[in-house]
Amino acid sequence: MATLEVGGKVFDVDGDGFLTDPSVWNDEVATMFARLDGIEELTEKHWAIVRIIRNNFEEKGNAPMIRFICQETGLKLREIYELFPLGPARGACRVAGLPKPDGCV
Amino acid sequence: MQKIDKVKRDKALELLKSGSDSKLLTHLNACVRCGLCSGSCMFYIAHKQSKYIPAKKVDLVSSVYRRYCTSMGKIAPALVNAKDLDDSMAEEMVDLLFGSCTMCGRCVKHCSIGVDIAYIVRKGREMLSAMDMVPASLQATVDSALRTGNNMAIPTEEFVDTIKWMEEELIDEMGDNNARIPLDEPDKNIFYTLNPREPKFFPLSISAIAKIFYAAGENWTISSRFYDVTNYGFFNGNKEQATVIARNLYDEIHKLRGNVLVLGECGHGTRANRWEGPNYLQKSYDFDMTTAVELIADYIRQGRIKLDRSLNKELVTIHDPCNLVRNGGLLEEIRFVVKSAADNFTEMNPHGNENFCCGGGGGMLAMSEYNDRRLKIGEIKANQIRATGAKVVITPCHNCVDQLSQLNHTYKLGIKIKTIAELVADALIIEK
Repeated sequence: MATLEVGGKVFDVDGDGFLTDPSVWNDEVATMFARLDGIEELTEKHWAIVRIIRNNFEEKGNAPMIRFICQETGLKLREIYELFPLGPARGACRVAGLPKPDGCV
Repeated sequence: MQKIDKVKRDKALELLKSGSDSKLLTHLNACVRCGLCSGSCMFYIAHKQSKYIPAKKVDLVSSVYRRYCTSMGKIAPALVNAKDLDDSMAEEMVDLLFGSCTMCGRCVKHCSIGVDIAYIVRKGREMLSAMDMVPASLQATVDSALRTGNNMAIPTEEFVDTIKWMEEELIDEMGDNNARIPLDEPDKNIFYTLNPREPKFFPLSISAIAKIFYAAGENWTISSRFYDVTNYGFFNGNKEQATVIARNLYDEIHKLRGNVLVLGECGHGTRANRWEGPNYLQKSYDFDMTTAVELIADYIRQGRIKLDRSLNKELVTIHDPCNLVRNGGLLEEIRFVVKSAADNFTEMNPHGNENFCCGGGGGMLAMSEYNDRRLKIGEIKANQIRATGAKVVITPCHNCVDQLSQLNHTYKLGIKIKTIAELVADALIIEK
């Protein structure tokens, strides 16, 4: 198991830097993980995306479809890709403290 | 605790003992240790450690073969470099055959006597699979496909909602109620397939292909249950699982009575269905199969779609997916389509059959266990891209797209990455 040191704290993560234990996640963790991806500050739009992903994970145990994120936030697809340069999976899901989704992401 | 007991070991060795595989026996015994393969391998080039030399990977499997399948190996193993298949050997095999090979086949092309090194690596993976030693993240991807019919475990209703959403957007954009994304419609000419990452996270490539089909006046459909073009059973070394996944598509195209199976933009999925599928199912396929690249090339040649290259002005380059080009023969077709759709094109060096893998092939992208290594070998690709000066990299493989996106971020390349359908859709002239 790998660890990731950020903001003076150490987190257990998988090789891709996703939290091993999603329950240690909170807003502060989100902010710190976002900085690692070069997002200096999480804006309202970022938070809207992160909350939807997180809620979906807590209710259903997985990441939501991008359609659901767009419809719930009212954001356009391309906007989401711009807000999270690493994309919805490696970017937004990681900031939301989810495990890495399976497949080609 | 010992991981490998006699039962497991015997299952793995059975794969080497089956006398019917003459290819395996020839290639296991043929390496002359010339070392030419070392300079081919991204892992060796990036890390400069001898364990990564492709011939060393072959030798892992052949040393086990010698130990259990040859007289000298049984009597005096040390004399012939024959090795036990014990825990430490199995762990080394996992590390090198799963964790240090993208099965890109570049070494195979450079081998002085033509050893199919990737084939031996795959056999080694089959042995590890027989001993339940597949890396967990890779196996999870296969399990999702077996359990749900797609490798991201997308529920059918969520898939359908996404397709309907993309269809509404397409109707809006085209201003035509006939701009459809037909689901589960029988007796269509084309049965199209997707990589699950498209509906889940990156659906612009679905809009792009739908727009192309609309412009070409194609008669097509997508299944809502079995649309997944990928087959990670090709990578985890479990042929039974690969067969189940390949059969899902085979049965579904029959159920919908489709005419041509069109493989979406996916390197290994093309290989696993087109070249390996009939082997998995032990029968020849009674329907035609082609790739999105070849289909689009045909539309262009037949004048079924018209393109305005000036709509794609930025300098583009091609990343050749290993399983489509070196191992799939699409070198010219990809270039024909890209040059028909873009004004400014430049080649990477090296490219085509000599191209370097993106670094995420062979299941590497799915295996978190080896993330650092994957990004390290990817630096070779990042440097290649940077040297072209291109602003856009075109690649007809969603797995490559994801790895290139991560390289773009990690190595600050400042590029856009597009599939072939996305490039072509941007150049389409829609006649109303």
